[in-house]
Amino acid sequence: MCRTDAASDKGRFSATITANVKIGECFWRMDMRFEDAGGEAFARFRPGQFLQIDASDAALPALESIPPELRDAAQRKVLLRRPFSFAEVTPQNGATMAELLYCVVGPASLRMTTLRHGDTVDIVGPLGNGFWVPEGKRTALLVVGGMGVPPIRCLAKTLTADYGDLETYAFVGAKTVGAFPFEGKLDEVSEQLGFSVPAFARFGIPSVLTTDDGSAGAQGFVTEHLAQWLDDNADRPKEETIIYACGPEPMLAAVAKMAIERDIDCQVSMERRMACGIGLCQSCAIECRVPDSDETVYKLCCQDGPVFDARNVVWPS
Amino acid sequence: MTEAVDISVDFAGIRLANPVSTASGTCGYADELGAFMDVNALGAFVTKSITLEPRKGNPTPRIVETDAGMLNAIGLANVGLERFVTEKLPTLAAMKPAVFVNVAGTTIDEYVTVTERLASEDAIAGFELNISCPNVKKGGISFGTDPVQVEEITRAVKQACGGKVLIVKLTPTVTDISATARAAIEGGAEALSLINTFTAMVIDIETRRPVLANRTGGLSGPAVKPIAVYLVNKVYNEVAKDAGVPLLGLGGIRTASDAIEFLLAGATAVAVGTASFVEPDCAGRIVNELEEYCRRTGTARLSDLIGALETPNT
Repeated sequence: MCRTDAASDKGRFSATITANVKIGECFWRMDMRFEDAGGEAFARFRPGQFLQIDASDAALPALESIPPELRDAAQRKVLLRRPFSFAEVTPQNGATMAELLYCVVGPASLRMTTLRHGDTVDIVGPLGNGFWVPEGKRTALLVVGGMGVPPIRCLAKTLTADYGDLETYAFVGAKTVGAFPFEGKLDEVSEQLGFSVPAFARFGIPSVLTTDDGSAGAQGFVTEHLAQWLDDNADRPKEETIIYACGPEPMLAAVAKMAIERDIDCQVSMERRMACGIGLCQSCAIECRVPDSDETVYKLCCQDGPVFDARNVVWPS
Repeated sequence: MTEAVDISVDFAGIRLANPVSTASGTCGYADELGAFMDVNALGAFVTKSITLEPRKGNPTPRIVETDAGMLNAIGLANVGLERFVTEKLPTLAAMKPAVFVNVAGTTIDEYVTVTERLASEDAIAGFELNISCPNVKKGGISFGTDPVQVEEITRAVKQACGGKVLIVKLTPTVTDISATARAAIEGGAEALSLINTFTAMVIDIETRRPVLANRTGGLSGPAVKPIAVYLVNKVYNEVAKDAGVPLLGLGGIRTASDAIEFLLAGATAVAVGTASFVEPDCAGRIVNELEEYCRRTGTARLSDLIGALETPNT
């Protein structure tokens, strides 16, 4: 999984929905199957890459099942596609199965909830550059905030399958227990790191779980636990460790700062409002440093990212 | 045997295989589109704006969706003239569609310098003068709203074109678009494109601030189409028809019937913009649909539709 793995075979494909179920207060899981050219393209999907879904012609749910806080937004028409990452991708007999976790926040995601088994959905992808594993790494630290779970879950699977020698730990946080896109009980206590989040435990990855309000796992920020781990393991060669992070931007900024101060490699998956997702509209600008210079440039989240080396991003001071 | 139909058009002396083009700033420099459609199926390709120096563009958020449209405030982010020539032009040179380079700047000299540098490039069929971008502090739309300045900048750039076709892109944010159209033709424009986006704003009621970092942005998409059709028809009737100047019509086109509305209103060619963001192969699909339309309706020549609007009550 190197940096140059970026998909050259992106395209516009139809996927068939095999399941679309509510898994939490505002979270849904949509499973879909790509066949033929789409199956081949998405079999090469890399963790951290993304796709664009056209949900504009899906029906709205019945008014009474729309949460009151979304009834106003529900009246908006949808024009543009919406970007998502997959939580899991499994090539299977020529087809490719993919799992999409989504949070219902507005008119497009509300419409997505009415799609049923057997419906098709119009998808552009795979897009952008995913995570990569530089040479010489022995430890991978996965840092996740809330809805940042899907690409990191996808990465956990790949690291386990293709990088068996990597020692991997997950640090998983959210504001509150309802803000985790996980199914089932999630805070089994374990001896290593304190908790065992099933989504990572199934890959044998020990995890820490935190919530800002203490409603699940330990109370506090996930970054505090990351800092603690880094301090406790300060004797490990820093060049052998890599941090992978996805979550809200303040969390990413805190993780990036921690990594840069300790001179540890860190890759962050960024997010921006985007129209096209394929480099046409230039909306999704991320301010990045120009090496050996005080200047900055805007790179595109969709084409240059969404995964960036944390050192290259200009973080708010 | 299917009837042969001719969907080519003559655009200011350039024979386009069909009237469909990309709209500036919505399809980059063609390299991004290849995965989704055969770019060679298009009649023309209009590049993203080129300025003399590279431009970073505006801070984010740069876009926001609206009902049936979107606002953008990209701020003419582009690689600049030199990188355009070395990195982007070779791709464009290998393409079949007529390539028009959209030129922008903050001073007349800058427009002239960019145009002069590109005038000798065989790959380029002509230029589109961007004097209607609403999202930059200097230049852009400030040239495009005053007929005196429109004529002046058009004349200066025309002299730098080296005989290539000059299209002037008009803003709809004026009281009388025919006045700016007339000024552009007086200055030497051989074609006009319209419309650019409408200056607009979306407010986040939670923060009570504009959503876009630039405060305002340009409204595009299906929402603007009926206004664009009207303005194309107005300019066609009042200025372009008698002057023999072809129009490149754009604003919210996403189907063949949208394109045909523009042709009937007086456009010789049409451009697809916002729709390409949703459906990257949209422009190519419209080319096919235009051909099917001609077959289905027995229209031997698509160009017969240009300006064929009938207005029985006037």
